[in-house]
Amino acid sequence: MRNVQRWRASLISTIGVALASWTGIASAELTLRSEVEAQRVGVQDQVQLTVTMSGEGMPDNVPMPALTNLRVVNGPFTSSQLSVVNGVASHSRSFIYALQPQAVGPAEIGEIRIKVGPTAYVAPPIVIEVVPGSIRPRGNAAPDPMDPFGGEDPFEMFRRRPGRGPEPKLFLEAVVNRDRAFVGEPVLLTYYLYTTISVTDFRFVESPTYAGFWSEALPPPARSRGGDVVNVKGETFRRFALIQKLLFPTKAGRVIVPGSTFKVGVETGGGFFGPQQQVVERTTTALTVNADPIPDERGFSGAVGRFTAQAHLDKTNVALGEAVTLRFEVAGNGNLKWIDRPPDVKVTGAKVYPPQMSSDLHAAPSGISGTKTWEFVVVPETGGALTIPALTFSYFEPELRQIEHAETTPITFQVKGGPAGAPSAGRPASGSRAGGPLALRSDLDLPLRTGSHLSPRALAGFVGLLLAVHGALWATPWLLDRRPDAAGRPTGRGRSRRALADLERAGQDGMSKEASVALIEKTLHEVFGPLEDEASAPPTDRERAAREVLQEVYFIRYAPQLGDYSEQIRSVARRAAEVVRKWA
Amino acid sequence: MRRPLGLALGLLLLPAAAAVWAQDPAARFREGNELFRTGDYPKAIEAYRAVAATGAESASLYWNWAQAALARNNTGEALWALLRAREIEPGDRAVSREIERLRESANLDPAEIAPVPLAAVNRASRRFHLDIVAVALLVASVVLHGLTRRARHLARLSAAADITLGIGLLLAAAPLSGGFAQPTAVVVTAGAPLQDAASPTAGTIGTLREGEVVVVLAESDAYLRIEDSSGARGWTAAAWKLERPMGVVSHE
Repeated sequence: MRNVQRWRASLISTIGVALASWTGIASAELTLRSEVEAQRVGVQDQVQLTVTMSGEGMPDNVPMPALTNLRVVNGPFTSSQLSVVNGVASHSRSFIYALQPQAVGPAEIGEIRIKVGPTAYVAPPIVIEVVPGSIRPRGNAAPDPMDPFGGEDPFEMFRRRPGRGPEPKLFLEAVVNRDRAFVGEPVLLTYYLYTTISVTDFRFVESPTYAGFWSEALPPPARSRGGDVVNVKGETFRRFALIQKLLFPTKAGRVIVPGSTFKVGVETGGGFFGPQQQVVERTTTALTVNADPIPDERGFSGAVGRFTAQAHLDKTNVALGEAVTLRFEVAGNGNLKWIDRPPDVKVTGAKVYPPQMSSDLHAAPSGISGTKTWEFVVVPETGGALTIPALTFSYFEPELRQIEHAETTPITFQVKGGPAGAPSAGRPASGSRAGGPLALRSDLDLPLRTGSHLSPRALAGFVGLLLAVHGALWATPWLLDRRPDAAGRPTGRGRSRRALADLERAGQDGMSKEASVALIEKTLHEVFGPLEDEASAPPTDRERAAREVLQEVYFIRYAPQLGDYSEQIRSVARRAAEVVRKWA
Repeated sequence: MRRPLGLALGLLLLPAAAAVWAQDPAARFREGNELFRTGDYPKAIEAYRAVAATGAESASLYWNWAQAALARNNTGEALWALLRAREIEPGDRAVSREIERLRESANLDPAEIAPVPLAAVNRASRRFHLDIVAVALLVASVVLHGLTRRARHLARLSAAADITLGIGLLLAAAPLSGGFAQPTAVVVTAGAPLQDAASPTAGTIGTLREGEVVVVLAESDAYLRIEDSSGARGWTAAAWKLERPMGVVSHE
């Protein structure tokens, strides 16, 4: 029974204690604090003092502080909390006193001092103003410490069933500090807990993934003890900032911060066996961030924020072959953590080796700040004064909405130990060839350009042209053969082939004597023309040969039908074919 | 009287002579060689680059460039220069030997410096002047063909014309097919990033090997979209093209 009363008396403070114990996760150091519900109370009101210790090496008791114009009417009640968050346990213990003002006027709770080993821990004094009458709402009045039932129905707790109480009044909310940012510009995401009851533990059901963002975890946010009192839809909650993260959009457009589900351990009213532990799940709503694109240009590093750059050498006088270290340092606030591109360093007369990078960055709600450094090893290859040119770091300035350039000043260093342009003794063996570099070629030996090689296009043109000439050579006779003469008859080789075919048919396949000789005669006339004897001009060899065959044809045509002339017809046809082959 | 006049004339002509000398590729080449001998390799390379920019490219120029790059331990640049020399003079055996030596020292597979087989066909055709030989054979074939048409007693040359035609076409096929070879480039920087876009702020999707010859798929400003021997595709600004137009030195 007394336990119930004690838990009820410490309801508000336990929330702070529970969450305070959670904040103590990061540190095992002992903490001590004292607190009261209100620092202005009526003389008829009671005020509750809570002294809380947390961390390693807590003593079993705390000394009672000195009281001025106050007296203890009940207590101390003790309360222990063991919280396990993200696998890390923390322990806290509270001592609760019910105090009664004695007269109107100022009152004070003295400082509390405990000593653990060589270290003393102090809770500062608390001043309270006592006014006439009662100023505390009835509902919030502290229970009469002398009432063993705390003002409640003593049988109510027997009627309750453990773990069957009303749904705990708490919820979580995710908030971003801005819903529009440039790509690479940080957005602060905060998870808030709103509650009316004691919370012992909370954790993500599943670690959230922020697609479209680079995320950077921040330390637990600082918060007031007992949280902030806020009114949500007419109901009073206490709000605690639980987790903060920095989100950097990696692409332009609408990027969604997904809702996250938490498991929250709470203490409910409970029954006869004291307060009940309960785990509830709460989910935040998804958020949208509009990411604006950033411009690009040659040499732009991708950094977004405000930065400065500087460069310096570890020494400005070196011997030939001795290396110097060039440090290029960028400092500022922004997304420097994800910028890996070193500046392009070229030093005439020196070999610059790829840099090593180091960083000293700290995440804060305003962004990631600190420095990033690239160290280049520069090995002179010539003597004299060598100059590191101005190095530029380009970044996007969100407020100016443009790319800015942080530029270093050129640095000159002296290389001693050899004339300007002398080979460096310290440089690596040339060419990694064991026997030294190969001999140089002394003459430029320009190749013969003109006509030495044809471009594929020119070659294709030549080949095409020559193939076309070939085609023309093949096609011309055929085309000439196909061309008919004035009488519509085929000419040339086609005519000869046709004549030879006709002569081949003469005397074959039972062709009569008259038909055969008529065919031979017709064929000869087609090939050689009229072939009249009375022509005035002397006959050529061609005409003479044709006429001779034609005479034989006439002889067979007009010879009496006394026998079989087929053999003679074939003979004449063969001779006619020879004449055609030779002279046509 | 005559001597001062000659002196003044000489002084007047001196700048013009110097300008001519500066533009003379052979003189600039010799100047690069002198710088090399004094150990000033960066300036020697600058001199060779200036010669190449005039269009006076030769295997000797790139051979010396490669030696200067090697002296600075820039294997990728040296390999690029030697491969460029081989493009210009495919028959240069010393260049081929040095390429092979550098390939081995860079621990590269032979296929990693010859990703396009057609490029080898192209080189072979240029080495043996197959284009000129093919054209000559085709011309001879035309002549023979014409002769067989013109005189009947030369008909026996018809077969020779056909054979000449066939061989000419066969030889022409090599340089013609080589013309379809994809352009390539050499990675000249150790640990050069392969990026997902042609931008300095683009994300890195891999690392290229120095000296590796990659296939060029596209170009954008100083960036090349390439495909490496593993098939990975992306953009890089650390590769120099091999088959670039004469006299143009890019990506510097």
